[in-house]
Amino acid sequence: MANPGTSDFSITSPVVGLVGNPNSGKSSLFNLLTGLRQRVGNFPGVTVEKKSGVMRIENLPPVEIIDFPGAYSCYPTSLDERLVVQELTNPKGDLFPDAIVYVADVTKLDKHLLLFTQLRDLDLPMILVLNMADLIEEEGLQVDVTGLSRRLGVPVVAVSARANKGVSELKKAIADLLRNPQEFRPEEPFYEPGVLARDVLGDLRQELPARNDYHALLLAHHASWLKHVPEKTRHKVQEARVKNGFHSLRAQVEETMERYDTFEPIVRDTVRRAKNKSSFSERVDDILTHRVFGPMIFVLIMLLLFQALFAWTGWPMEGIEWFFETLGNTVRENLSEGWFTDLLVDGIIAGLGGVLVFVPQIAALFLFITILEEVGYMARAAYLFDSLMQRFGLNGRSVVALISGHACAIPAIMSTRTIANWKERLLTIMVTPLTSCSARIPVYVILISFAVPKGTFFGFGYQGLAFAGLYFLGIISAMLSALIFKLVLKSRERSFLMLEMPDYRTPVWRNVGITVWQKVKSFIMEAGKIILLISIVLWGLSTYGPSGAMEEARAQVQKTVEEQGLSDDDAADLLASEQLEASYAGHVGKFIEPVIQPLGYDWKIGIALFTSFAAREVFVGTMATIYSIGSADDELRIRDRMAEEINPRTGEQVYNPATAWSLLVFYVFAMMCMSTLAVTKRETGGWKWPVIQFTFMTALAYVSAMVVYQVLS
Amino acid sequence: MPFPRSTAASHFVAGMSGTIERFTNENLACKLLDIGVRPGSRLRLVRKGPFGGSWYVKIDQQCLALRKQELACILIK
Repeated sequence: MANPGTSDFSITSPVVGLVGNPNSGKSSLFNLLTGLRQRVGNFPGVTVEKKSGVMRIENLPPVEIIDFPGAYSCYPTSLDERLVVQELTNPKGDLFPDAIVYVADVTKLDKHLLLFTQLRDLDLPMILVLNMADLIEEEGLQVDVTGLSRRLGVPVVAVSARANKGVSELKKAIADLLRNPQEFRPEEPFYEPGVLARDVLGDLRQELPARNDYHALLLAHHASWLKHVPEKTRHKVQEARVKNGFHSLRAQVEETMERYDTFEPIVRDTVRRAKNKSSFSERVDDILTHRVFGPMIFVLIMLLLFQALFAWTGWPMEGIEWFFETLGNTVRENLSEGWFTDLLVDGIIAGLGGVLVFVPQIAALFLFITILEEVGYMARAAYLFDSLMQRFGLNGRSVVALISGHACAIPAIMSTRTIANWKERLLTIMVTPLTSCSARIPVYVILISFAVPKGTFFGFGYQGLAFAGLYFLGIISAMLSALIFKLVLKSRERSFLMLEMPDYRTPVWRNVGITVWQKVKSFIMEAGKIILLISIVLWGLSTYGPSGAMEEARAQVQKTVEEQGLSDDDAADLLASEQLEASYAGHVGKFIEPVIQPLGYDWKIGIALFTSFAAREVFVGTMATIYSIGSADDELRIRDRMAEEINPRTGEQVYNPATAWSLLVFYVFAMMCMSTLAVTKRETGGWKWPVIQFTFMTALAYVSAMVVYQVLS
Repeated sequence: MPFPRSTAASHFVAGMSGTIERFTNENLACKLLDIGVRPGSRLRLVRKGPFGGSWYVKIDQQCLALRKQELACILIK
């Protein structure tokens, strides 16, 4: 809630915005101020992730803290930055902060103050945080905090988000500012609109709903895309710009140069830096970004990452598997027999267990990717592969999306917002879901045991190698698809790399922990919900059938048993399989069987494919449900049940290597994730691209799986 | 080794350095100004990237990755 100029927070809680340049340590500070009291949502109207949290200060209602995306200036070049300008130029908006905590890296103050002076000229109550204060001694810096505060006209607090220092001082400063926002009103602006802007401002100043000259100037610059500017005003701005020959870029250059001239002397007088020496980061980069060693090291890191992923997660996975097995057995022993027990044990517990088993691997994957990001390696990866990526129509920054796509395509697609060129960004969004996300891990693990024999080759397990092969298949298909899209789509928009290389830092473990926890939590919640729902629906569909059909199946089995004199166990299995076939789910499976037969699948796999289109991890849960219905066997491990499955016509194993490989290839390529499609729709602004994405990926999956099956069988 | 007078930064090889005189593309100029690169800043080409095309550049205290086309818009004196 915006209420500038008053300090009455009796009705609503005050809003504090965290603003600063990228790499200023803003997110660390956010985590420190809010801990786990965070919510991740979307900014209204746009899809930029909104992180907000609650901070408690004595004698004040809970303060809402919004972590705005990092921005360099009020002249945005990416969608993330646009949002900052949009919200901070809209005093009537819900997100307009009562105070701004401006975070600057103390070692880069000479650059990070640009946005500060711009926001200050908007007349917003501000506090300047000198972050990374722990580096002051290390880098031989001397900072005159009082002098800086006097010259800039705002409270200045030195904080180390890394070493957890200065936080109570900052909280106190925030509380003081919120109680008394008028105390630090700017006396004079850092910048007066210059010659290039004066005429257009003269025409528009009265028309625009602006707080002051600089606010009006920003509206004149950005009226065409600011959502809160009404259409009528937009036209007026456009007319005035044309009439006065207002050149936005030139005016921006003029303003920026003048601002540097204003605040540079302030920084020079208050910050004293030691002699420049070749920094630690540069020496590391001599090796990590080397023309030859750089890419080699990158590949090595990726290999280690995936090797570690599977080597380290064995025992927690076995623990979880054991837990669900025991839970299922205990529940079955203690509850009376009946449909409810069946639903609980066969549907819900087996379905949830099938997916929760993979939480350790998913957590490990997010852990590694977050560490790479925190350390600062992702920017190096983008630099290393920019030229290669350009040949495929992508941008160096696409590497970040393609790597994080291995954890989950959704955050990966959201990370493409830093790519300013629309075509490069679109291509990245289109091909990222082809990289093997963590939801495919459960499917791969189960199927590989049928596709590849156990054994080792020079110390590498065959199954591990097959696993790596599937990941490579995903990456290669992503690159080739990008190439095809590049040739089809035409664009003349200019593309930029211009990427900052942040200094290498040891990761702040608090940040890593919070990120991993949030991702894993949302995976469990989202996947859990959908699996629970589908398990229940599927259980119902496979237990009940069209009227008469189930009875008929039962009678048929009874007859067969008597004729052939089958044992009790065999009779129960036969009954289960005949009943499943007669059920509603069986009908669905039978209906799509002709389409998937060339791929080597039977109608039971058809049911699993069908449910997987909601989310691919459902495959395992579906298998658990299908193969546990009615079976007398106590075995809860899905893998063993699948291995026992025999094709009644041929008498062979259903999951032979040809079928398993065909399924694997299908799951590498197929677009089986509604959430990803929804994100693609939001990010591309319409149904066109998600529909194309779904069609091309699924067609690719179908054709490739067919080829694989026909060749192998 | 200093750059000869007013030449585009894209014409030089790793290890060369000089002072930025001006930018010849307004779009790029705005982006560079935003991150603190301006006329008067010291620029040094540190190394060429793999697969050709991009450069690891140090400007004042800051390390950046720039494409060759981007360097072509920076005049060095």
